[in-house]
Amino acid sequence: MKTRLIAVLRALAFVLLALVLCGVIFEFAGRAASTAGNPYSAILMFQSIAEGAILNRGAWQDSLRWALPLFITASGVAISFRCGYFNVGAQGQFYVGAIAATFVVDGMRGAPAALVIPLTFVAGILGGAVWALWPGVLRVKSGTDEVITTLMGNFIAGLLLVYVTAGILKDPSGTGQVMASRPVAAAYRISTSSGLSPTIIVIAVIVGVAMWLLVNRTAFGVLSSLAGRNPIMVVWQGARLSRLGLAGFVLSGGLAGLAGTVEVLGPNGRLVSGFLPTHGFTAILIALVASLSIAGTAIVSLFFGGLAAAGLYLPVLVGLPAAAIDIINAAIALFITARTWPGLERLFKHRAAAAGGG
Amino acid sequence: MNGESALACRDVTVHYGDVAALVGVSVAFRPGMIHAVVGQNGAGKTTFARVAAGLVKPVAGTLSIGGCEVPTGNVNLARAAGVELVHQSFALPPSFTVAEAMEFGATGGGAIYSRRRLEARWGRHLASLGVKVRLRDRIRDLAVELQQGVEIARALVTEAKVLILDEPTAVLSPAGIDTLFARLRGLKAAGVTIVLILHKIREVLAIADTVTVLRGGRLVEGPIATADTNASQLAHSIVGSEEEKKLTGADEAALVGASEAVASAAAPSARAASAILELRDVNTRPDPEGPTLGDVSLTVGRGEIVGIAGVEGNGQRTLVRTLSDLTELQSGRIVIAGIDVTHTPLRDRRAAGLRVIPFERNSEGLSLSSALWENWSARKLLFDRLLAPISPSRLRKECAEALDAWDVRYATTTQPAGSLSGGNAQKLILSREVDPAANLIIAAQPTRGLDVGATAFVWRSLREARARGCGILFISSDLDELFDISDRLVVMLSGRIVGEFRPPYRLGDVGAAMTGALA
Repeated sequence: MKTRLIAVLRALAFVLLALVLCGVIFEFAGRAASTAGNPYSAILMFQSIAEGAILNRGAWQDSLRWALPLFITASGVAISFRCGYFNVGAQGQFYVGAIAATFVVDGMRGAPAALVIPLTFVAGILGGAVWALWPGVLRVKSGTDEVITTLMGNFIAGLLLVYVTAGILKDPSGTGQVMASRPVAAAYRISTSSGLSPTIIVIAVIVGVAMWLLVNRTAFGVLSSLAGRNPIMVVWQGARLSRLGLAGFVLSGGLAGLAGTVEVLGPNGRLVSGFLPTHGFTAILIALVASLSIAGTAIVSLFFGGLAAAGLYLPVLVGLPAAAIDIINAAIALFITARTWPGLERLFKHRAAAAGGG
Repeated sequence: MNGESALACRDVTVHYGDVAALVGVSVAFRPGMIHAVVGQNGAGKTTFARVAAGLVKPVAGTLSIGGCEVPTGNVNLARAAGVELVHQSFALPPSFTVAEAMEFGATGGGAIYSRRRLEARWGRHLASLGVKVRLRDRIRDLAVELQQGVEIARALVTEAKVLILDEPTAVLSPAGIDTLFARLRGLKAAGVTIVLILHKIREVLAIADTVTVLRGGRLVEGPIATADTNASQLAHSIVGSEEEKKLTGADEAALVGASEAVASAAAPSARAASAILELRDVNTRPDPEGPTLGDVSLTVGRGEIVGIAGVEGNGQRTLVRTLSDLTELQSGRIVIAGIDVTHTPLRDRRAAGLRVIPFERNSEGLSLSSALWENWSARKLLFDRLLAPISPSRLRKECAEALDAWDVRYATTTQPAGSLSGGNAQKLILSREVDPAANLIIAAQPTRGLDVGATAFVWRSLREARARGCGILFISSDLDELFDISDRLVVMLSGRIVGEFRPPYRLGDVGAAMTGALA
């Protein structure tokens, strides 16, 4: 318990350090920009982040709108990392899930919602799972490095998204400036464009509870954590490492696909080419900041959801580009990676040995 | 006294973290003699050798070589003063040829090498030391004895005055030990002072002029002339009177390698005991971790401990991997408890009662960064469905009960396994692998690196398992240990079984089988 608390405090300290560093940078950049008639300051920036994330009216809802899909994807990432597999393809799995969901919801226009919505979810989850399955199979069958394959998968999925939104799923009445699918019919939407609804909250809660139980209250949880920390030992115990690993891949992909489905049926309301391009990477960051714990992932998701919500305020209030939030994210990523490096090193140390052992 | 000693240290104290490895050790070795330093595992022998060679800096104490004081913790100065250390695990690059390995680290060869020049330079040196080896052979292809020969020759390149060898006999067959001893006597005649780290009394008495005993990091006695002592006296010094009370005579003799032939403490097993393990004509496909098995046929009966002897790397690892379904079979059959498990995965073999104590407890036996209870419950959980619900608090409680029953020293079941000492880590593995449902236990080097108390504990628990009717396959490179515990002994050489012995065992016969001298 005490060691856990220390781990959490350390993570917080690193996040704080990253924020301070960003503050210093923006302060100087803001002074330089003042000659160009566009001054901004770090204090003002943090103030407006706080306003955009919590203080303003509706800011809480806005933060949750971003936090919940991030949490769904991030809990999947945490599971695959716990199994010892570095699935960095959450972004691609998120996209493929969204594409599959859109195919179903678009193709079944007119059918009753009670039929379409569940099928759309199934399609989205399966889409994401399939996009994680092939790197998983390559990994456990022939030892192909999943960092490479899942990263490549992100690009392929991104291009696939461009392809379908410009082709099969293209909205014929669209302006042509934005490539997107037809809007999802109101009957099938699970939230308005504001992006928060009881349905989405319930989905996130179900995912959270289920994943927490899986990690903390099943044989899978213990065995996958052992396998993630020392696959050789688990092989000598007679475990089929490939099954544990594939389960981790499929779960993380399925959850990313679920998040993609939520975005399409919820806040987005349609499939837009190149939408939320950093969703999967932020999710990885969240899982790492949370030290791969599910409860921690929930809390950290709120923080990053708040940052994402605030990102939309920055240009309006401070005159700072929204990309400032990306810079903050990147700084946090840098510090967190430095903090978790021993853990990652352990992961990589056993990779070669595990490749032949499955 | 300092003036005439080749190597002396005074009040040397070394700490590794919180652990005191050496405490106030003062000892002086006279030149031109062979000195033995003995003690159990963890007594501080290797640390002592490293201090003498300048590899470890003590927190207190001085070191003098040839009468001159040398700053501690400086390899280059120690080397310049004439001290060379041959490590326990060899340090030559395996992909180098013999000539290249000799040149590696030597001085005075010029900047540009040619193969011919290298071979001319080192051929003479090796020949003068009586090491018969082809200079173009790669280090990894050499037999262990030859590798050691090259290692010693390399240590003598600088004309060392003091040569320290850390457990040089641990990897050798009895015949190899004879060769080594002949070589050492030659060096002694040439005026080199030799310090041998050993843990077998028999070897000490055979080669050394003086003996120094360490226990728990402290100097017990020495250097005393070997002529003035005897095996039982030394055994007493090494083990200590407290531990001694808990040991039977045969076990103590085996622990310290005190006697030439050991009558097994085993009760004579019933010959007609039914087989729990049968290997028939097993051949394996090439495996990266060791030689393939060739026509291995082996039977282990219920209530029988079968020892596997052999120089390390002669297929013992492949045998254990084969039984654990980690190496592919080419032909042959494996039967456990009457069930053909040739094509059965390890999980199902374990369900049939197979238990494995693997060679490497820190990588194959435990996940060091995982909690004790997770490590302990792995075996149980694997028999379950993956999604089977568990109660961590109940598992932790069961784990605590098991660990208490096995006398493991731990603070909480949630501490990482890496925080346990070697002996306690091995007990954790035992508590997992030696359960009432076990009927065949593969124990691979289960006592390696353990101190006397932990070693005796491992033996006792395996004997208790035998009494319950378990069949046990005991793999070790320590013949004394095997003689003490085995009801039957099988010798492996190059992946084949080349001999089978029953007690009373004779060192000469088993040793001959290990080196293939037994036709």
